[in-house]
Amino acid sequence: MPPKQVQLTVQNISKSFPGKGGDVNVLDDLSFSINERDFVSIIGPSGCGKTTIFNIIAGLLEPDGGTITYRGKEIESLRGRVGYMMQKDLLFPWRTVMGNVLLGLETRGVDQKEAEEKAREYLKQFGLAGFENAYPKTLSGGMRQRVALIRTLIMDPDILLLDEPFSALDYQTRLYLEGVLKDAVQKFNKTVILVTHDIDEAVALSKRVVVLSGRPARVKVVHEIDIEATSPITARNDVKFSTYFKTLCAELDIQTETTS
Amino acid sequence: MSLVMSDTSARKKITPRKSRKKRSTFDTTLGRAVLQLLAVAVFFALWELGVHAGYISAFLMGSPSGIFATFYKLVLSGELLSDSWYTLFEAILGFIIGTIFGSLFGLALWYSVFVAKLVEPFIVAINSVPKIALAPIVVLWFGTGLISKVALAVSLTALVALIAAYQAAKDADVDLQSLMISMGADKHQVFWKAVVPSTLPSIIATFRINIGFGLVGAVVGEFISSQRGLGHMIFLASSLYDLNSVWVGLFTLMILGFVLYYVIDIIERTSLPWKQATTSHQVQV
Repeated sequence: MPPKQVQLTVQNISKSFPGKGGDVNVLDDLSFSINERDFVSIIGPSGCGKTTIFNIIAGLLEPDGGTITYRGKEIESLRGRVGYMMQKDLLFPWRTVMGNVLLGLETRGVDQKEAEEKAREYLKQFGLAGFENAYPKTLSGGMRQRVALIRTLIMDPDILLLDEPFSALDYQTRLYLEGVLKDAVQKFNKTVILVTHDIDEAVALSKRVVVLSGRPARVKVVHEIDIEATSPITARNDVKFSTYFKTLCAELDIQTETTS
Repeated sequence: MSLVMSDTSARKKITPRKSRKKRSTFDTTLGRAVLQLLAVAVFFALWELGVHAGYISAFLMGSPSGIFATFYKLVLSGELLSDSWYTLFEAILGFIIGTIFGSLFGLALWYSVFVAKLVEPFIVAINSVPKIALAPIVVLWFGTGLISKVALAVSLTALVALIAAYQAAKDADVDLQSLMISMGADKHQVFWKAVVPSTLPSIIATFRINIGFGLVGAVVGEFISSQRGLGHMIFLASSLYDLNSVWVGLFTLMILGFVLYYVIDIIERTSLPWKQATTSHQVQV
């Protein structure tokens, strides 16, 4: 295995929001790093500021303090270089599937014909050929999230920021899309940071899991997940899966066994 | 995976339940049209009979037969057509100018929260003036010709469009805008690709109200001072107690408004095809 190279480092990031009783410290001195071609899940108690981290990395929020280093260079944010996917598919309702997929390339000023050709290729690959002219409202939740994934991947972003992208979907669709995601990430050599509240999903997909403590968020512990599996479904059958699952539950103070 | 997918698609094939409520024979397009025409016919028949029986004063109310005779006369002389065109032209011109300028200004306020907050009380203040009250000054300023009527229609429609556009731009989905920013889009791109399209339904919804306001502006302008138009015709006829001519003018205005409403309806449907995909049937209670 080649030595792991650090791609992104987040150092001493802090952020507070004005609240009713003074400022609320959401992030305080948060640091972690992401390797090249990493698949990192961030889990933590709800409301611990996971989305805030993403917004800072994506350049939607400015941190109060701290630095972001990308491939050795200190940068403001990764605006324009990340693929952000949220729980809501955020498809533009007035754009067709094709129009939605093209959104990013349009903002980048890519030649229309070239972009469309690329989009068709992606749509075909993700089993959405024939839906180019459909409006999002007519698609199922799983298909819509697939369109959102294509819209993200077609931009060829350096890092994918996935903020609970599948949590609004039913279990079957979620399993299916986890597989689609994992395949795509492998194929396109992407680095992924996944925020999730689903421990099961985190273990099945990631190479590493970062556990955050409650507000203000700090890194509690980082777990390397050593499961060699071809798909998230087979990963769930791995002997080590339940050990990781239980350990992570314990980290999050979730009781897994009823004590008498 | 294909197994799972085919399983769900098989479950989706539920045979549509037959509507339990039996639809009445008149509940079709043709049936409704028959009922609607019947209601109009009965209304005019009762009116005519009332006049003949002496219950209704033809002098103060006019009579359907008199209205029809006047209508026939005015059509033949070409007066009705030219007056209608004149009023319609004023109304549509005022509507278009007012809607375009109002919407553009309202949308532009999205660009600067500072400017928007600064001008908001002024907009509210201007909007709270009944614009009809401006009519005498508008005529003073712009004369008795076409321009004063158009100006009045503009003053009525522009603020409606402005407020709707501004509100819709403020309400535009922040997440969609954030997504575009994360993609590296600049402010103009966010404005044109995320904000403007999401305001279109609200802006187009003002068309329905504003086309009516356009007619109001044109007709009121003609009331005050004009040589032509349906407003002028109604005003003149009522001062002469020519009720039949008044009714011809009113019914013509009604027809104009009616036609314009459906034109707007078609514009709405063709310009927002993505909305069509969503409109589901009304729930039967």
